[in-house]
Amino acid sequence: MASLREMQGAFAAALRDTAAACPVTPADNLSIYRNNTAVSFRLALEGAFPVVRRRVGDDYFRQLSAQYRARFPSRSGDLHWIGRDFPAFLLEHLHGTDYVWLADLARLEWSREQASIARVEPAVAADVLGRFDPAQLERLVFTLQPSLSLVASDFPVFTVWAANQTENAPPVDQSLPGECGMARARIDVLEVRPLEPRLFSYLSALSAGAPLVDAIAAAGLDQAGLVNALGFVFTEGLVCSVQETGT
Amino acid sequence: MSRLEPRGDPRPIPACAGIGFRGVHQQALLADRPAVGWIEAHTENYFHEGGPAARGLERARANYPLSLHGVGLGLGSAEGVDRGHLANVKRAIARFEPALVSEHACWGHAGGEFFNDLLPLPYTDEAVELLARQVGEAQDFLGVRLLIENVSAYVTFEHSHLQEWEFLAAVAGISGCGLLLDVNNVYVSSQNLGLDALAFIDGLPPDRIGEIHVAGHARSGSVLIDDHGSQVCDDVWQLYRHAVNRFGALPTLIEWDTNIPALGTLVAESRRADLILGEVRGLAA
Repeated sequence: MASLREMQGAFAAALRDTAAACPVTPADNLSIYRNNTAVSFRLALEGAFPVVRRRVGDDYFRQLSAQYRARFPSRSGDLHWIGRDFPAFLLEHLHGTDYVWLADLARLEWSREQASIARVEPAVAADVLGRFDPAQLERLVFTLQPSLSLVASDFPVFTVWAANQTENAPPVDQSLPGECGMARARIDVLEVRPLEPRLFSYLSALSAGAPLVDAIAAAGLDQAGLVNALGFVFTEGLVCSVQETGT
Repeated sequence: MSRLEPRGDPRPIPACAGIGFRGVHQQALLADRPAVGWIEAHTENYFHEGGPAARGLERARANYPLSLHGVGLGLGSAEGVDRGHLANVKRAIARFEPALVSEHACWGHAGGEFFNDLLPLPYTDEAVELLARQVGEAQDFLGVRLLIENVSAYVTFEHSHLQEWEFLAAVAGISGCGLLLDVNNVYVSSQNLGLDALAFIDGLPPDRIGEIHVAGHARSGSVLIDDHGSQVCDDVWQLYRHAVNRFGALPTLIEWDTNIPALGTLVAESRRADLILGEVRGLAA
């Protein structure tokens, strides 16, 4: 008699391949499981990438979901993770086509999806800086909100995202300049917005753990730009803590 | 002054009708506070630390006793249970303090691929032994007694030599778990596979049943599909009445997971279960 492991292996093979033998009756009803598993996978993917789905349409999204699933099957009993490799899949799948920007759009949507389940930490106010020696200010390191994701693209993905919050929106001109920006969670609100490129560079450096002085240098900020950028992270509630670096 | 009071034991699930907790009903449930006995949430939707879903459930569970119902452990998977998933269930239990925790008599992954579906087991001695062992290990790890639910099925394994109810009773006997009787699943499987639904219910051990589910299903040709997308049909209500007569009044969940209606429709459906529970109580009095 076949072992349980063998029977489940045969069932799994029959879910992937209609020609695979599986010791069940009626074998025709395996199609119900094939359909159920494909549909729940696709619905989970649609839930995480609604704007990609709107841009490509239902039929093509269905094809993409099946191709993606064949290449990146689910590795978790938690449906949330199904979309994790979708941006990388699209990049590979659409390489060399006019639609490669969809990979960046998917990256933005996945960032938003991650923000939707992240903790929101209490933010510290700018007056925390008063606790430090002014001579040490430029050596400070900021810990930013865990929900913050930064996305940069050669395409206008933030404009596309904002324009497609409802069904049947007209297409956005892909020859518009590239955009960068952020996704982050506030209590009960998810925020997706483009950022001015220098502010984006500064945030990227801070979120990578660079001291303030290096973040300013990376972004090429002048004095006025620095004051703006410093104000931005505090007024947006992005700073969870401030520490001195070891030097 | 604000101080967190220790919550103590979670409020028990009363022997009346409850409804599934869905994100789309969150606002209405908080604002209208409809008189339903309890709520049940899918455990996997609350694995993550932040987000509106988790905050919504925290608010709702302040008003209603809570049951957490898992759909992703695949406790009958021959390749074992995902320890990370189990740890997430444990975190959800610690955070939301449910009065009941349930899962399914099914498997869900093989060869490293997860199918995110409730796949049927062969009803063999080996499967009894494996499911009972993995349910027992999960209970030890989680520190709770689980209720294990019968799934709807569209196929049977040629190797099955036990009846499904014998299989469930054996798993409960070995692992010490309770059983969650899904009457709609009994009906769907019976219709699809030519089983005797009454014999199924009569064959279950009465002292093990801790909860009942009812739901709607769809028809596709000659097959019934367990889609939880409509009202409970009369045949299932009749079977439910039979189950309640046999097992007594038990917490009963109205499951409605696709084509989710307005909260009021769900509450109305729960009244039908309460009516039957009331009749049975009346007869017993």
